[in-house]
Amino acid sequence: MGTITVDRDDPIKGKPLVEAHHDFGSVTDAVCSVVEKPPITKAWWISFFIAGSGLMLLLAMIAYLFWTGIGVWGVNNPVGWGFAIVNFVFWVGIGHAGTLISAILFLFRQQWRTSINRFAEAMTIFAVICALVFPGIHVGRVWFAWWMFPLPYQQMAWPQFRSPLLWDVFAVGTYFTVSLLFWYMGLIPDLATIRDRATSGIRRFAYGLFSLGWRGSNRQWHVYERAYLLLAALATPLVLSVHSVVSFDFAVANLPGWHTTIFPPYFVAGAIFSGFAMVVFLAVPARELYGLKSIITMRHLESMNKIILATGSMVGYAYAIEFFVAWYSGNIYEQFAFQNRAFGPYWWAYWTMASCNVFIPQVYWFKKMRRSIPVMMVVAFFVNVGMWFERFVITVTSLHRDFLPGSWGFYMPTWVDICTLIGSFGLFFTLFLLFIRFLPMVAIAEIKGVLPQAHAGHGHEGGEH
Amino acid sequence: MKRTIDRSSENRTLGDLGPLLTRVGGIVAALGILATLALAFTADHGVERFFKSYTTNFAYFLSLSLGGIFFVVIQHLTGATWSVTVRRIAEAIAANMLLLLGLFIPIVFGMDIIYHHWTDPHAASDPVLAAKLGYLNKPFFLIRWGVYFLIWVVVSRFFHGQSVKQDTTGDIDHTLRMQKWSAPAIVLFALTTTFAAFDLIMSLNPHWYSTILGVYYFAGSALSAFALIAMSSMWLQAKGRITQSVTTEHYHDLGKLCFAFTIFWAYIGFSQFMLIWYANIPEETEWYLHRITGSWLPFSWGILIAHFVVPFLFFISRVPKRSRAFFRFGAAYILIIHWCDMYWVTMPEWYTDGIHFSLMDITLFFAMGGLYLVGMARGLGKASLVPEKDPRLEGSLAFENY
Amino acid sequence: MSAEHKTSLWGYLIEFETVDQLIHAAEKVRDAGFDKWDAHTPFPVHGLDKAMGVKRTILPYLVFVGGFTGLIIAIVMQWWMNAYDYPYIISGKPMWSIPANFPVMFELTVLFSAFSTFFGMLGFNQLPELYHPLFSAERFRRATSDRFFISIEAKDPKFHAEKTRSFADTLGGDAVEAVEEEDH
Repeated sequence: MGTITVDRDDPIKGKPLVEAHHDFGSVTDAVCSVVEKPPITKAWWISFFIAGSGLMLLLAMIAYLFWTGIGVWGVNNPVGWGFAIVNFVFWVGIGHAGTLISAILFLFRQQWRTSINRFAEAMTIFAVICALVFPGIHVGRVWFAWWMFPLPYQQMAWPQFRSPLLWDVFAVGTYFTVSLLFWYMGLIPDLATIRDRATSGIRRFAYGLFSLGWRGSNRQWHVYERAYLLLAALATPLVLSVHSVVSFDFAVANLPGWHTTIFPPYFVAGAIFSGFAMVVFLAVPARELYGLKSIITMRHLESMNKIILATGSMVGYAYAIEFFVAWYSGNIYEQFAFQNRAFGPYWWAYWTMASCNVFIPQVYWFKKMRRSIPVMMVVAFFVNVGMWFERFVITVTSLHRDFLPGSWGFYMPTWVDICTLIGSFGLFFTLFLLFIRFLPMVAIAEIKGVLPQAHAGHGHEGGEH
Repeated sequence: MKRTIDRSSENRTLGDLGPLLTRVGGIVAALGILATLALAFTADHGVERFFKSYTTNFAYFLSLSLGGIFFVVIQHLTGATWSVTVRRIAEAIAANMLLLLGLFIPIVFGMDIIYHHWTDPHAASDPVLAAKLGYLNKPFFLIRWGVYFLIWVVVSRFFHGQSVKQDTTGDIDHTLRMQKWSAPAIVLFALTTTFAAFDLIMSLNPHWYSTILGVYYFAGSALSAFALIAMSSMWLQAKGRITQSVTTEHYHDLGKLCFAFTIFWAYIGFSQFMLIWYANIPEETEWYLHRITGSWLPFSWGILIAHFVVPFLFFISRVPKRSRAFFRFGAAYILIIHWCDMYWVTMPEWYTDGIHFSLMDITLFFAMGGLYLVGMARGLGKASLVPEKDPRLEGSLAFENY
Repeated sequence: MSAEHKTSLWGYLIEFETVDQLIHAAEKVRDAGFDKWDAHTPFPVHGLDKAMGVKRTILPYLVFVGGFTGLIIAIVMQWWMNAYDYPYIISGKPMWSIPANFPVMFELTVLFSAFSTFFGMLGFNQLPELYHPLFSAERFRRATSDRFFISIEAKDPKFHAEKTRSFADTLGGDAVEAVEEEDH
């Protein structure tokens, strides 16, 4: 067979994952220096101040809600579910990209994931924390929130396991726990790296404590890698299950617009879609500001944009099939629910959703667009807007006009609703800024593993092979 | 750690296996057709039953080739390296679409029996059906199938043709062209597969509707195609072909795909069941009601256990994925159980009180299966069994799981 | 080290610059029949397990047991709470509704599997182990950055202070260091 020589930059093999000038030491330096000698303290402090204010706003809104009651929100009689569930689903969805990158792409041996997985996993955890706030505060009598858990108390009434809302407690709780374990396990070797570079005793102690005495032993690496693979294999069905269970909250009801069988995979696709948009939205400024362009390269961003196009198209597929089957069902309530979505009083929400999620990402069919920083920031922003509106459309348009025209109503959020949403972004960004300040935002050990010199027989400097 | 594989002495052409396959397939098909005809004209309601069994088997063989298209297109879309050595087999499976177009003809003649609910002239008196007769009517049905087959034939020919051409030219442009067209191809594939599933299966019970059904059909298609690819490759190796090109590592990956899609199929099936069972809306629940009536109940449990639990436990360990003796059994098992699944989605719509087994279910399987083998012999015989000059071939040969 | 602490030889630490050197040396140490020795790398090196003769871990079996435990707990818990201890009808579903119990069964299976994976990993690796004699070697700090090491412990039955030292010198490393540990 004639050999076909392919140079490193050609479309068959693709660009190198990390730019060529890096060696093991320079990767360590590039990532650790962000934590050790933060390059942009001023911008970080300003961002932290803004995000922290958002967090304060969230806390104030929650305090006001607890003090006064659910009446401060816009929910009313036909629309009993408003911003709280919309925000919950939105934030859980954002988290999904992290698990996809860390687990599913790992199983598929997509090595480009290594530069962004830490980042995305952190995002998962913070997004799930934001999500968990909402079911916690929306129950009305928050002091009874612990009834959601199967704990014995004097009435001996147990949680109702036939309720999809209880499945949520288990699904999201498990998701948070497993994501945290996965993320922390990935951090252990990198924390050891920072420990070994530490110059001050406090740093050495703190990073030393959390790196658990890791010493890069190959016998440890062997078990560690197996454990990592197992966690990835567990996280993959888990991530499918989480948004599926979230979709069950809606789809097990017999309300038109909620009850449709494609909801589970459609929710999962949408979640991955919005999550990737958020990763792009955060990774672009981070790599600019922290000088990580040679590690988080254009190739990574382009790959993510391809996934945004793919999952956006899946979401578009689901919208189309839902519409078709609503008509095909011959059921007037089904048909009305969808007409009302697109042309009823909430038409603006529907078309915002459709434009942002289906039409705008289509620009990614062109390579130029996938590789343009301004374009991807704009698209990522719109996708997040669109995915938030998707949950709004599903929740509100289906509820506000149900079977009985006599009970129709209209829902508008109050200022408290809106401030709580803004505040949840404050919580997210506060946690995120703390993360990039104190923890290595790129998986150092994994990056080294994909460098060409990480493999035996790389054949430089007169290797004896 | 790069392994070098010596392929100099390897036989990578179908050679005399082609005529052998054609002969065996032809004989099986001929016997199957004769037996089917005999049964159709002698048994009670034989002709009626013929069309029903035919639909079940058609759904089965169509799904294999659809899965083949999916495999080929997705490899190009993702720029996969590992799969190159088995891709030619998938291309041949996909290229059987032309044969399936021919096999569609009996459905055209059987529509009055198969889809009697909505082909009945009195259908319009049912208010639910009246609303959807704009979609469910014979001319539009046939036009749609024309479009589906046009797309499937063009897509499968294109990818097979480009790949075969590359064997002689060695031009990277073929790879780039296939990569470029794989994205639109997957979009077309998704839409046509979905609507084909709606038309072929969902409209058997025109009151019933489920948005996920297209995904369900796709999941089974992909799963069985992976099994068929593995099976074909193992058979070729047993006959002394491609003995070096396809290694344990490739089987390991095919096994992982079988495992993943076993779970995916169960996930989709469970999603559909859970939502319909929980909401309990009459026109939807009816579909499952048929499947828990009479002897269909044990059959449904059987599907759950045999299509999910058994293959899940079988493929979870790495041993069966890396051992050909085990995998051969597992792949054959999936191909059989997927047939049972197709039986389960179609038959209860005609026989709502319980299983009515007919020998024609089996004879038609052999009739169509024989023809399918002949088609595969043709597809595989056209060129080398491995894409000889694919730029990723070297990577695929050296591929190792770790 | 303060005067009252007596130290003794813990073992030798050999430093390498490239993956190739490390793997060659590991093969030699393995073939010399050592038992208590290890390689230290900043990232998992593929092929090193084979070069060292590391046996496949049994962690997957532990995870399987953990997951199965979670499944059983979920089934029993839901049956006991909703169908036995406090039964009541809701939305026309049977008391013990297996389809409706399935999501929690799945989640607890995954949760218990993940706990077994993580804590099993820590257990097999004997972590956390915040103090280790190797941490006293200054050069070992680069084991998590850009250098590769092999350590041979004095506890190994084949270990001999001088012979092993001269063996270590033949491994092709950049440096060989004797690591001391405090006596208890």
